[in-house]
Amino acid sequence: MKTCDKCKVKITGSTPECPLCQGPLREDGVPDPRGEIFPQIPTVLHKHSLFFKILILISAVAAIVCVTINLILPQHGWWSLFVLAGLACMWLSLAVAVRKRNNIPKSVLYQVVLLCVLTVLWDYFTGWHGWSLDYVFPIACVVALLVLSITARVFKLNLGSFIIYTIIAALFGVIPIIFYVKGMLQVVYPSLICVAGSLISLVALMVFEGGNMLQELKRRLHL
Amino acid sequence: MKPKKSAEWRRLDNAAKIFPCTSTKADAKVFRFSCELLEPVDPQALQQALDRAMEVFPGYRCVLRRGMFWYYLEDSVERPEVQEETRPLCSPIYDQNRKGLLFNVTYYRCRINVEIYHALTDGTGALQFLRVLVYHYLLIRHADRFAENAPVMDYDASATEKMNNSFQKYYTRKRKAPEKAPNAYHLRGPRVPESRVRVIEGVVPVKAVLQKAHEYGTTLTVLCAALLMCAIEQEMMVRYKKRPVVLAVPINLRNYFPSESARNFFSIMQVRYNFKKQSNRLEDVIQSLNRDFERELTQDKMEARLCQFVKYDFNPVARIAPLVVKDFGMRIGYELAEKKETAAISNVGKIQMPPELAEYIRLFDVFVSTDRLQICMCSFGDNLTISFTTPLVSTDIQKHFFRALTGMGIPVEITASRLPDEEGVPE
Repeated sequence: MKTCDKCKVKITGSTPECPLCQGPLREDGVPDPRGEIFPQIPTVLHKHSLFFKILILISAVAAIVCVTINLILPQHGWWSLFVLAGLACMWLSLAVAVRKRNNIPKSVLYQVVLLCVLTVLWDYFTGWHGWSLDYVFPIACVVALLVLSITARVFKLNLGSFIIYTIIAALFGVIPIIFYVKGMLQVVYPSLICVAGSLISLVALMVFEGGNMLQELKRRLHL
Repeated sequence: MKPKKSAEWRRLDNAAKIFPCTSTKADAKVFRFSCELLEPVDPQALQQALDRAMEVFPGYRCVLRRGMFWYYLEDSVERPEVQEETRPLCSPIYDQNRKGLLFNVTYYRCRINVEIYHALTDGTGALQFLRVLVYHYLLIRHADRFAENAPVMDYDASATEKMNNSFQKYYTRKRKAPEKAPNAYHLRGPRVPESRVRVIEGVVPVKAVLQKAHEYGTTLTVLCAALLMCAIEQEMMVRYKKRPVVLAVPINLRNYFPSESARNFFSIMQVRYNFKKQSNRLEDVIQSLNRDFERELTQDKMEARLCQFVKYDFNPVARIAPLVVKDFGMRIGYELAEKKETAAISNVGKIQMPPELAEYIRLFDVFVSTDRLQICMCSFGDNLTISFTTPLVSTDIQKHFFRALTGMGIPVEITASRLPDEEGVPE
């Protein structure tokens, strides 16, 4: 067993120096009955960090090059702003995807909401042609509901989570009715299909999982 | 494809509410109880023992979920699996996006480790779990000896007793006068990389330390607390010496209110000492701590402490605030409270096992994740294990502490956790 003469303590394991004073140790020849107590856990390497570093570099280079060219040739307007906004949107979406990577239904919901908000903003700042509300919003909602029911089957999702995420997605999918009533739509059929689909999923959920749905709402909303 | 019935759920107990929102990578709010046997651990037997222990503690098979207003525990069907130790000590267990059980059982050579997320239970609950686990393990491992006359475990809490939220039971609306305390001295210095903690534990004979404590006219806990304070004092920067050294001491409320709860039921008291105004002689520190302990450890103060935890349950604004707002508020409150503490010392006390089984066990050990410095102590037989955890690279406080013990003529056996960059001869 090893001994530190300065600290006057015995030391277990194979460490070459005293854990207290980092001084040298003396071996007294008596075998150590306990041996190694803790395993040596190697540094955890982050495998994905190189991929993200390259991606960050590419986006930064793209942004800087575009702005520079734009400043050299200013006669075509401020098109580089679109590049910057596009990159910002991409990183926002990527950040959500990475943060929520272990919770697929939540990730789907966040992405859909983000997509809807961002496209409405794009549409608004590019002259409000209405394509975001006419097409993107309702189609995204329908896709979200479909993806949710598929992932629930594929990943054997916890019933409670499936119920709560479906409720949120379906309620989000009812929002286009407001656009319809307010007369903000030029093309009405995608929105109406989306609202109908969302209502049908809500009703189906109530019919088949009514009791569990109530339970889940109770526990999620308990005060 | 999915279970037909939705799972059972329950609220967090009052002490647990602070943990989900303050768990970080650096301080995961995870603690570990280990049992070191005199023989290498057999994984299959340990898995069987774990399955039996889960029947005794069905409430531990649960995941932590976020509601709109509160966190809650939901029963899970996941079967806990025994694994060889491969993760850094006390690494995070609760992950908001990956619902898993709130504890894990690992082994390494002769040690059985139980790591538990603090929202699930406190030291006492975890210790009962480990004792039951080790009990079943030894019964399975030495089936030939214990087949006929199995020793009896002294743990017999009923299912409801175990899942009881004892804070609610003993709440009396007693108010504690708010204390104005100055900010405490804080330990500084470079930290170990990867947000890991360094563990240095010393095994000392209980009898020798107890005798020393009695010579000083005090208890084991106070003696260790005083030694820790003096060790911190030796490392204090002179310009910060006017700040008091404040130790947080967790108290097991089960000693004051009858409870068999296997969930959280503890409180924390603070003891302080100002080295600028008071002397740094060990005797004086001990005397001051003796007075503090006597003043704080009364039934009356305990009731007030217990009510501290519960009173927010009756505040309508706090209740109806969405969880994100609550998390934010609690985090701020926690940061402010953190500033008033230097380190912590926790004495789990004497651990007992049936005598037939004790001959297979060398010692028990406990330590926690922390972003300051914390001592955890427990004793088994004549082995008192004193474990330091800290994320700081410096080992000077530990050095002063253990040198003070050896200076009193008490033999110490040191074990340190190994960091990846440290040399060592691989087995």
